[in-house]
Amino acid sequence: MDTTQLLKGVLDLAVLAVLREEDGYGYDILRRLRDAGLTEVGDASVYGTLRRLFAAGLLTTYVVPSESGPHRKYYSLNAAGRDQIARSGKLWRSFASTMDTLLDDRGRAA
Amino acid sequence: MTVTEQEIADYVARVRGALTDLPPAVRDELTEDLPEHLAVVAAESDGTLVERLGEPEAYASELRTAAGVGAGRRLATGELNAVVDRVRARLNTLDRQLGPPLGYPTVRSFLHLLAPGWWILRGYLAAMLLALLTGGFGGAVGLLPRFEGHLLLGLMILAALVVASVMLGRRKAQLRGWSGRLLVLGNLVLVGFGLVGLVQLDDRRGEGNYYTPISVDSQYDHIRDVFVYDTEGQLVDYARLFDQNGDPIRLGYPDCAAARDVIRRDQINNTNPLLRGYPYCPEAAPFGPRPTVDASPPALPAPPGTVQPDSVASPAVPETAPTTSEPSPVTPEVPETPPTSAPAPGVAPTG
Repeated sequence: MDTTQLLKGVLDLAVLAVLREEDGYGYDILRRLRDAGLTEVGDASVYGTLRRLFAAGLLTTYVVPSESGPHRKYYSLNAAGRDQIARSGKLWRSFASTMDTLLDDRGRAA
Repeated sequence: MTVTEQEIADYVARVRGALTDLPPAVRDELTEDLPEHLAVVAAESDGTLVERLGEPEAYASELRTAAGVGAGRRLATGELNAVVDRVRARLNTLDRQLGPPLGYPTVRSFLHLLAPGWWILRGYLAAMLLALLTGGFGGAVGLLPRFEGHLLLGLMILAALVVASVMLGRRKAQLRGWSGRLLVLGNLVLVGFGLVGLVQLDDRRGEGNYYTPISVDSQYDHIRDVFVYDTEGQLVDYARLFDQNGDPIRLGYPDCAAARDVIRRDQINNTNPLLRGYPYCPEAAPFGPRPTVDASPPALPAPPGTVQPDSVASPAVPETAPTTSEPSPVTPEVPETPPTSAPAPGVAPTG
């Protein structure tokens, strides 16, 4: 099992978490995810995820003129998005702690 | 290798090409950030975009999966898409394999250098097609566009269309959906038109030939030679006959030994025997001897009322020398019935 496969399940949550700190545009979000340690996240995956979260109504977008180059589309969490990250976050924590316990037990047993 | 704008446009086009099964609005939304993203990626690091991000088709697939779109439609046309993807992958491999022999990383990058040339050609073809359409296919078509016969107007329209075509070529990446498809269709029409024009031009190659046979009615079949006389009854040497199209009229054939010799010599010297003109055999002239450079009298008596220095100078024709107003019974110019033999010079039948 590699990170890519793990990422598939939690990329939504990761993107939402990044956006909870601050609004961002596509490449900016990608960079923040990588800086946070998710180095293997794919460019297309992030853009696709943003698009899907937006379509699901969890994000709002607005366009900011850039000093150089084309205008940038910024994404920000809306109320539904915040609600979603609260629920998903809770789910993840419980899942992660279950996994930790599982691994610790096995680790001790081994 | 630095990443050019062209490479970015290429990459975008291929990603979009792999998403053609999606509704245009969804596809546009998925790829709207892509050019800017690629520009940033290109600016940040060395290497081609493909090296950095993988094949555009793989990128498109990842984008599609992450966005969770198009799965249903993809399944419906899955078989076909799989074939298309395989063909595309093979073409891409071929593209990279055939590039280095040409001195370029890919065939595609080589062809991109030729794109501006195609834009200019496209403008020219569009102008020619427009000229042809406005002319109703009626007039003769040359190599330059003419509108109602006006070359200057044609050249102005040609220049405008070439500029428009180049501008269109530079903005191609921005054309999406139906306008992009329209452009492809237009290109195909112009390529087809250009090929047809090329074939016709090639067919016309024979038309400048001097030897194009002219069909002559069978009533002229018996003609072996042509003798042209001017108004003074002088046999015209080296006369050439043309029809209304400027095509030479060929009648008869060199029948006498002298003419055959001349023609053989012409063929050896590579000169055109037709430029020699009629008659082939001046010795066989039906009326009078062939005039020579010396002051020999004309083969036929001059019609009265014409001043003819030769006749005046010649003592053998005293009757015709005085130019009187009295008409003589001499039949001027070419008589209807040829004399049984060539008339003796100066013997004018004055009644």
